[in-house]
Amino acid sequence: MAKFSFTRLTARGALIALVAAAAACSPKQVNRIDPAAVTDLSGRWNDTDSRLVANELIKQSLDGPWLKRFSDSHGGAAPTVLVGGFSNKTYEHIAVGTFLNDLERAFTNSGAVQVMAGGTARDQIRDERADQQTNANAATRAKLANETGARYMLQGEIQAIEDSEGKEKVVFYQIDATMVDMESNAKVWIGQHKIKKYVLRKRVGL
Amino acid sequence: MTTRNMTRAAALGLLALAACTQRKINPEPVTVMRNGERVPDSEAKIAEARDRAAGDQARTTYTRDSIMAAAMTGCTPDVCAAVTRGEVALGMNEAQLMAATRTTPTAWSVRRSGDAAIYTSAIQNESPRDMVSAVALVQVQNGRVASYAYNEPSGMRIVQKAGDASAAARATATGNALVQQGDELVASGNASLALARYDQASVLLPNDPMLQYRIATLLDQQLRPIEALMRYKRFLHQLELERINAVGDAYAKQAAAIAHAKERIIVLEKR
Repeated sequence: MAKFSFTRLTARGALIALVAAAAACSPKQVNRIDPAAVTDLSGRWNDTDSRLVANELIKQSLDGPWLKRFSDSHGGAAPTVLVGGFSNKTYEHIAVGTFLNDLERAFTNSGAVQVMAGGTARDQIRDERADQQTNANAATRAKLANETGARYMLQGEIQAIEDSEGKEKVVFYQIDATMVDMESNAKVWIGQHKIKKYVLRKRVGL
Repeated sequence: MTTRNMTRAAALGLLALAACTQRKINPEPVTVMRNGERVPDSEAKIAEARDRAAGDQARTTYTRDSIMAAAMTGCTPDVCAAVTRGEVALGMNEAQLMAATRTTPTAWSVRRSGDAAIYTSAIQNESPRDMVSAVALVQVQNGRVASYAYNEPSGMRIVQKAGDASAAARATATGNALVQQGDELVASGNASLALARYDQASVLLPNDPMLQYRIATLLDQQLRPIEALMRYKRFLHQLELERINAVGDAYAKQAAAIAHAKERIIVLEKR
């Protein structure tokens, strides 16, 4: 009886070791795929959401009447915009820089809006300009106190509402972006995009 | 049927009921993005905006160039200099007004009545600006700017004669506006903020004795005797200077203030 149990235990151990070895030897598969492809794995915020938000905010901002109003009252000049804070009020980590950079790129490449550097990028430029005052040839020196003041600041926030029961989960994201006049505090444009996701976790084997 | 079978049937029935009442979210009627689909890019939208902006900017640049050419033709040296600086000036014609503000007719709303015309912003909250500030209103008489008003942080400032446009006149107007704000704050019981406004005004109006008197009385009320004493003395000193300058009957009009200041100086010095 004792001998039988020992043999059975050995067989089980060998089987587990075989499975573990097979798993270890299975080759890792990495494929480059189209960045525009929808790839939803966990149901959390991902690149697809970022692209959808960027597309929608680009469309809404470039089609908004605020651009024409500014252009008409300023002899055709493009408004100057500084990208300010974009707060994430969800429990997830959301990289807001991805869609904000898409938006900045659209503004700049369209020529309809002039985007000014802000935050740490601006500090870095100011440091370099200050350095040029000492080290650069006078003819090539960038002048001090000659920055263009931004007329508007882009601000925004992301909020999320989550609802779940059992294997089902619904996540709702609302992204609000606002263009605020720096002098009057008037909100000249508000963009908004909403994303709703339904996540169903299927049981293994079913 | 045995008790066991009855229990089994009941459990089966409950299970079936639970299955029937299961909440179901049907996402089909709305657009659903599935794995493997593509998110469209925004290049077409950017290109469309680029074409539109380029077209608008080219048209506006052409209009502005035409206005500038008309403005600089036959202008007096003062007006030419003001247009170049980008500053509205009295005596400008309509083209020069637009050239000075770097605007086109789309920026202005014009109401005409006989020989007079009133220019205001065509777009709310987007007043045309010159180098000084936002231009709220321009009055044109016989084709020439007769007066204009700036919308400034301290309120509306009107330029009706050449002297009003000078830096000194600008400082006086701003100082007077600050004094007025201070008076309103005193009336509403906010003495500390009123004092701050008066202090700002005193930088712009250093020779205004009544402003010194206002500051002195406020400091006196706030139980700050040393500062109050200094301001009362300054008030009397400036009045003496005014009297020497013999400016009308200002001295007589300020008799009550002088009497009060002298009285307070005696009281404060005795403390």
